[in-house]
Amino acid sequence: MISNNPTRCAACRFLRRRCPQDCVLAPYFPSSNPERFACVHKIFGAGNITKMLEQLPVHLREAAADSMFYEASLRVEDPVYGCVRIISQLQHHILEAQSEILKTNGQIASYIAQQQLQQQQQNVVDGASYQQDMQISEYLGVGSDVQTLANDSYFHP
Amino acid sequence: MNPTNPNGGDGSGGGSSSSGGGGTGSGSPCGACKFLRRKCVPGCIFAPYFDSEQGAAHFAAVHKVFGASNVSKLLLHIPVHKRLDAVVTICYEAQARLRDPVYGCVAHIFALQQQVVNLQAELSYLQAHLATMELPSPPPPPPPPSAAALITPPQFSISDLPSAVSSMPASYDLSSLFEPMVMQPWAMQQRALHDPRHHHQFGGGSSGPGSPAGGGGGDLQSLARELLHRHSSSPSPGSVPCSEGSPSHSHPK
Repeated sequence: MISNNPTRCAACRFLRRRCPQDCVLAPYFPSSNPERFACVHKIFGAGNITKMLEQLPVHLREAAADSMFYEASLRVEDPVYGCVRIISQLQHHILEAQSEILKTNGQIASYIAQQQLQQQQQNVVDGASYQQDMQISEYLGVGSDVQTLANDSYFHP
Repeated sequence: MNPTNPNGGDGSGGGSSSSGGGGTGSGSPCGACKFLRRKCVPGCIFAPYFDSEQGAAHFAAVHKVFGASNVSKLLLHIPVHKRLDAVVTICYEAQARLRDPVYGCVAHIFALQQQVVNLQAELSYLQAHLATMELPSPPPPPPPPSAAALITPPQFSISDLPSAVSSMPASYDLSSLFEPMVMQPWAMQQRALHDPRHHHQFGGGSSGPGSPAGGGGGDLQSLARELLHRHSSSPSPGSVPCSEGSPSHSHPK
C-alpha cells in the first residue's frame, strides 16, 4: 500500500488527487508554490510534465522542471512569442556589442595610425636636421658635433 | 494555402463535415487532424499551419510536448494575424525540448547570454585599452582577458535568466531562431556538472544530447522556411517582417 504525502504537493493539490510518497512531481512542485505548477500545467499539461520528467534521470529532473517553468512563464507572459522574445532581445544585445567592438577597434587602429604618422614625420624632421648638420660640417671642415653645438648656441643663446 | 477564419472551434469532435470537409479546403485532413486521426472540420484551428504532407510530423512534436488541447486553447486566445508566429515559436520550443529534454530552448538562451557576457568583456577591455592610449603618458595597456575567462562560461542558473522585459523588439526575425547554434558545449558542460556520464540517451523522440546542433538546426530551419514561405505569398497585415531563407544574424563567435 503506497502511503501518501501528509502534505500534498502543489501538483496533486491542483489536480485534486492523492499525493503518493513516490510522486514524481512532488520534489519540484512544492505546496508552498502553487503558482509554479499552475503555470507549467497551463502550457505543458500535467501528463506531459510527468512523462518528460519520468524519462529523465533523477539528478536532471530539477533542471528540467526549472527550465519548463521558465519556458511556461514566458509563454504565459507572451502567448505569441514566449521564449523567443528573450532570444530576440539577446540577439539584439549581441549585435549591439559586436558593433561597439568594431567601432572601438576602429578608434584604436586610427589612434595607432595617427601615432605612427607623427613618429614618421618626426623621424623625417630629425633626419633632415642631421643631414644639414653633416653638410655644413663638411663644408666648414669641422666635426658635426662642434657644428651642432654652434647651431644650438646660435638658436638658443 | 490561405489561412482560414476559424470560428472558435478547435476542430475537435465530429462536426457537420462533408466528404470534402477538410479544414484545408482541399479535401484532405490537415497535418494535425491526420496525426490525431480525426475529421478535419472546416475552421480547424490547426489547418492553416499544419499541412497534410509534412505538418503531421511537425504537429507530432508539438503534441508530444504541449498537447493538442493546450495548443488549441493557446491559439484561440491569440488574434488570427498573430497565430502563425505563435505556431512557429511553439514548434521551435517543442523541437528544442525533444532535442534537449532537460533544457529545451533554454539552452539556446543560455548560450546567447554567455555570448553577450563574452562580448561585453571584450568591449570593456578594448575601451580600457583605448582610454590608456589617450592618456598623455599612457601606462601599459591592461592585460587582455585571459583565454580561460573568455572561454570558461560563468555558471549561469535559470534564476539568472532574464524574466519578462518591458521593452519588446521592434520585429522578430523568426528565421534566425533556427540557426545551428553552438548550444551543445554549454549544455554538455552543464550535464557534466551533474553527471560525468553525460552522454545519456533519453526516451522519446530526442536524438540525444550528443548530437550536433547543426542537424537539429537544419530541421528547424526547414520548418521555419516551410511555415513562413507558405504564408509569405499571402501576407496579412501586422505580419512580422521576417527574413526568409538564410538567417540574417551573424553566427556566434
